[in-house]
Amino acid sequence: MRGLAGKLLRLDRRAIFVLIALATLIPLLYPVGLPIRVSPEVKRVYDHIESLPAGSVFLLSLDFDPASKPELYPMAVALLNHAFRRDLRVVTMTLWVTGTGMAEKVVSGVASEYGKRRGLDYAFLGYSPGGANVIINMGQDLNAAFPADHYGERTADLPVLGGVRSLRQVNYVVSLAAGTPGVESWYVYGKEKYGFELGGGVTAVIAPGLYPFLDTGQINGLIGGLRGAAEYEILIGMKGKGMAGMDAQSATHFIIIGLILLCNLFYVLAPGTVVRSFDPSAPLRTGSAQDGPGPSTGLRTGPSTPLRPRTEPDEVTGSPDEVTR
Amino acid sequence: MATSVFIGAWVAAGLTLFMFSFLYKDNPFFRFGEHLYVGVSMGYTIVRIHYDVMMKSLYGPVVQEGKWWLLVPALLGLLVLTRFVPKVSWLSRISFAVIVGFGSGVAIPRIISSNILQQVQGTLKPLLNAGSSRFGMAELNALLILTGVLTVLVYFFFSIEHKGAIKIAARIGIYFLMVYFGAAFGYTVMARMSLVIGRFDDLILFASRDYAYASLVLLILVTLGLLLWERGSTKLTTGGQRRSS
Amino acid sequence: MTLFLRRTLPLLLTFLFGVAFAAQYYIPHPVSEGALTEISVWLRIILGFAMILGIASLCQVHYAKIRTRVAGWGYSLVVYLSMLITVAVGFWAGGQETGTGLGWIYTYTLLALQGTMFSILGFFVASAAFRAFRARSKEATVLLVAAILMMFGRVPLGEYLVPAAGPVAGWLLNVLSLAARRGIIIGISLGGIATSIKIIFGIERSYLGGRD
Repeated sequence: MRGLAGKLLRLDRRAIFVLIALATLIPLLYPVGLPIRVSPEVKRVYDHIESLPAGSVFLLSLDFDPASKPELYPMAVALLNHAFRRDLRVVTMTLWVTGTGMAEKVVSGVASEYGKRRGLDYAFLGYSPGGANVIINMGQDLNAAFPADHYGERTADLPVLGGVRSLRQVNYVVSLAAGTPGVESWYVYGKEKYGFELGGGVTAVIAPGLYPFLDTGQINGLIGGLRGAAEYEILIGMKGKGMAGMDAQSATHFIIIGLILLCNLFYVLAPGTVVRSFDPSAPLRTGSAQDGPGPSTGLRTGPSTPLRPRTEPDEVTGSPDEVTR
Repeated sequence: MATSVFIGAWVAAGLTLFMFSFLYKDNPFFRFGEHLYVGVSMGYTIVRIHYDVMMKSLYGPVVQEGKWWLLVPALLGLLVLTRFVPKVSWLSRISFAVIVGFGSGVAIPRIISSNILQQVQGTLKPLLNAGSSRFGMAELNALLILTGVLTVLVYFFFSIEHKGAIKIAARIGIYFLMVYFGAAFGYTVMARMSLVIGRFDDLILFASRDYAYASLVLLILVTLGLLLWERGSTKLTTGGQRRSS
Repeated sequence: MTLFLRRTLPLLLTFLFGVAFAAQYYIPHPVSEGALTEISVWLRIILGFAMILGIASLCQVHYAKIRTRVAGWGYSLVVYLSMLITVAVGFWAGGQETGTGLGWIYTYTLLALQGTMFSILGFFVASAAFRAFRARSKEATVLLVAAILMMFGRVPLGEYLVPAAGPVAGWLLNVLSLAARRGIIIGISLGGIATSIKIIFGIERSYLGGRD
């Protein structure tokens, strides 16, 4: 049994890749449609947009690149659908250079479905470099920050931006962010001084880090990850990519939970296992028959093998050419 | 369907499979896709800088609106590029001094206000507002948050030795940190799986009849390509070994 | 004079801009606000030029590979060709993307390549979780349990099987995880402010680069 456990711990990772691929593919081809519970933080964004009267200025900053499209694009579609339904004046922009094409595509695509006209009902300001500096610039003078929109038309002449001289006249800002510049930049350099209401839509990677700001009210709502996009789609009664991906999300999560539990089961069954507590004041050990120091996230292959010079690619981190961030 | 969309679907599906081929092992298809990505993103960035910065923020205001003083930041911007000329690279320091000085200056009061004062206020306010009401879940949560914030700050305070009461507080802080890292890991898994779902969604779309089963055909071709490459590499290796023996 | 221009002037500029715009936050006078507006416009223009630095640097690296014909130089040629084609198509399209060649390149190459490159991480997360995520200590066990509760409670299947899983995951996020993150935010912010002050007062000079 212990031998088998040891062998399974050294299973070729490509077998795991195939498992993940199947767990993603099958639910996408044969969806089940399990119910999704809407979380309070997502509902707060929805409720705030619902409370805005027609003609209010809604600024949507699409601060992400193609790498985060699966999570944030469905959020953008859902928010724009909601905003156009409420007849809000929609102003969109991006702080990420490679997100410009996506941002333009989503806003013009959704706007055309509602018969909204560029310049009159919505505007796409485009991209400007500088991140936080752009936000400060917009807070001081929006026309100075964006003298022309993405299509070259003077922003001062756009009817949709009538009466909007800076961020102080914007009723609600939502930043859909994959990192920095993002939601944090908008409340530190924007809301802090210019006093607009701010909501956030973020990738699941950075979502847990924003709960302190949700708690203090610095952001009035938070849509996190594909799950958040699915919840927003439920609220506006729309079937989009968010909901479509949730079954596959469930399957892959359960596969990974199973893999982690199996890994720990095999680890217990494998010989020489010792569980002990982390002592930060203890001197660092270089290797022994026992486990290495620390609350380890397992940067070595076996639980009880002493450190030795490597003659093969690291089984944990993969080959030297492995793509990591 | 427009021809450009049809061709585009085949290109996108092919490039997606090229990148996924890395899951088998590093190979020329992946390397081609990786370098193509670098080149295209560089080219796209150049186009955006030209139109969104140079034309809209510089050329338009200076030439069409007569804001000649914007030539000063343009000059400072050009000084940044002297970084590439070793003899005069020191000129770029002037521009970086402006950028860094401004950035540091604006950051200080804003970070104090939003990241420190408001966060401290958010930690203490629920406890101060509790008053004489019954000790319920809200009060327990507020107490847990206060404990967590203080113990985590104690853990990261390395200027004093962690012993006695400080050590106990630091140990509690570690457990709070482990919960946060666990939650962050769980959410990271969710994020990464979402990306996989997104790409598979596109591949499924491009595998439909409308796109002439692009994904399926290309999957077969890429697999064949990988097998041929693998065989070619093996022959090269065994041939080399024979010659040396 | 040379030393003044190379070292003293940049440090003086950093100090002046740093102090001025730190103080500006507390001075709502129109002149002060006007200065902030104008300098932020300047910064956008300067940073646009700074973006060229990164691109030029990459161009240099790949050109060197092509020139010296190192192993894999053909891929560097791919970088150059794809960059030049994209720029040419982009200028032809006037920087617009709707219905143009630039939009085609963006939608069918950049989106596909960048999206897939980062989605590969999903597979490696699963592989790494199987191999490395072990409860070697009490702290690691807490981390593991929190991660499993989060993964279980934030998907529809988990909430369907155990209805309490969702609220438990929510409580972990809104209380325990929040507390730790708040401590980290305060700590990082204090460190950031200290670094900013060091930069403004010329104690930290690494941003200048080089000697002097």
